[in-house]
Amino acid sequence: MRSAVDKDDFSSYGVNSVNHSFESNMNYLESSKPAIYVVIPAYNESKTIKNIIEELKSRKFNIIIVDDGSTDKTYEIASKSINNSNGLIYKHVLNRGVGAALKTGIKAALARNAEIIVTFDADGQHDPDDISNLCQPIIDGKADVVNGMRNFNEMPASKKLGNQIMNVITQIFYGIKVNDSQTGFKAFSNNAAQLLDFNSRGFGVISEIMGEVKKNDLRMEEVPIKTIYTDYSMTKGTNLKVGLKILFRLIINLFKKVLA
Amino acid sequence: MIYQYFGVFISLIAIILGILRFKENKMTLGMLSFWIFIWIAVILVSIYPNSTNILASMTGIQRGLDLIIILGLFGSYYLIFKIYTMIESMEQEITKLVSEIALLMEEIEEKKDIETKSK
Repeated sequence: MRSAVDKDDFSSYGVNSVNHSFESNMNYLESSKPAIYVVIPAYNESKTIKNIIEELKSRKFNIIIVDDGSTDKTYEIASKSINNSNGLIYKHVLNRGVGAALKTGIKAALARNAEIIVTFDADGQHDPDDISNLCQPIIDGKADVVNGMRNFNEMPASKKLGNQIMNVITQIFYGIKVNDSQTGFKAFSNNAAQLLDFNSRGFGVISEIMGEVKKNDLRMEEVPIKTIYTDYSMTKGTNLKVGLKILFRLIINLFKKVLA
Repeated sequence: MIYQYFGVFISLIAIILGILRFKENKMTLGMLSFWIFIWIAVILVSIYPNSTNILASMTGIQRGLDLIIILGLFGSYYLIFKIYTMIESMEQEITKLVSEIALLMEEIEEKKDIETKSK
């Protein structure tokens, strides 16, 4: 279906993106398979980003990388490996947090008429094979939002506690009960993505998105996903410290709402 | 009493600093008026400490100075909160800018690509 993979080499710009021409979008609209855009927020992920891009490329997904002001070579590596393929790369000039990067990525995907937007962590903890599973309920019209659900029993103890606390906190503050409130691996229908309105910049965004799902009365399904725990991915994401930080922020936000 | 001199001295310095900042355009007129008002109040209280007793007896707090300290504490907390919200909304604005720049840059690249293609 993706016939319009550009042969022309625009690498003279040294940066980003090819194949976002109008025609290629049209091709997508005409094809029966929905346009799936995988949004990857990346901050200092030079070690893993190349592999992820290669994996996604081989599966023919549209890739949107948002480099969130990385201080390492993430942007260079990403633009190199994304070149001449169906990918786009956006650069935040300042580090604004994963929430901000997601927002940019989702906006970009919507601007390209993405039918399904999948958010994917850049640290290599997700399995690209799960993307199709995640999209399936949306394709079938059963859900607007699909939440990846990690197996808590496989989770290292340090992470498990943090994540369980975050589930409770998400339920208290946003009134939505989810089995895994903290995974960055989610899929949204175009319609759902347009409704999402979130402002958290850091990891708290994941809870806030859950809150938006509840607020907009979107249909959500949870699909089990595989998690790859490497030493590298272990150092990232939600642990107890991040959890406490998010809790602090939620309380402050609550005060703000009351006083403002 | 020594604290009276001290209070007046500190207040005068604060007022002068405020005026200097206003002159450098780093303070709004409203904020300057508020600032001067607060410190003149501190000067008056320093010179006539007994005046606070009237307020104290009205509110039921025993000593006038205690009341002032309590009010000052609450006032400070309020200001800190106000500054927090200000910084937060500024952060949000910066984030919005960064995001817009990223989207725009990509758009420009895209236009360039199409132009090169058509050539």
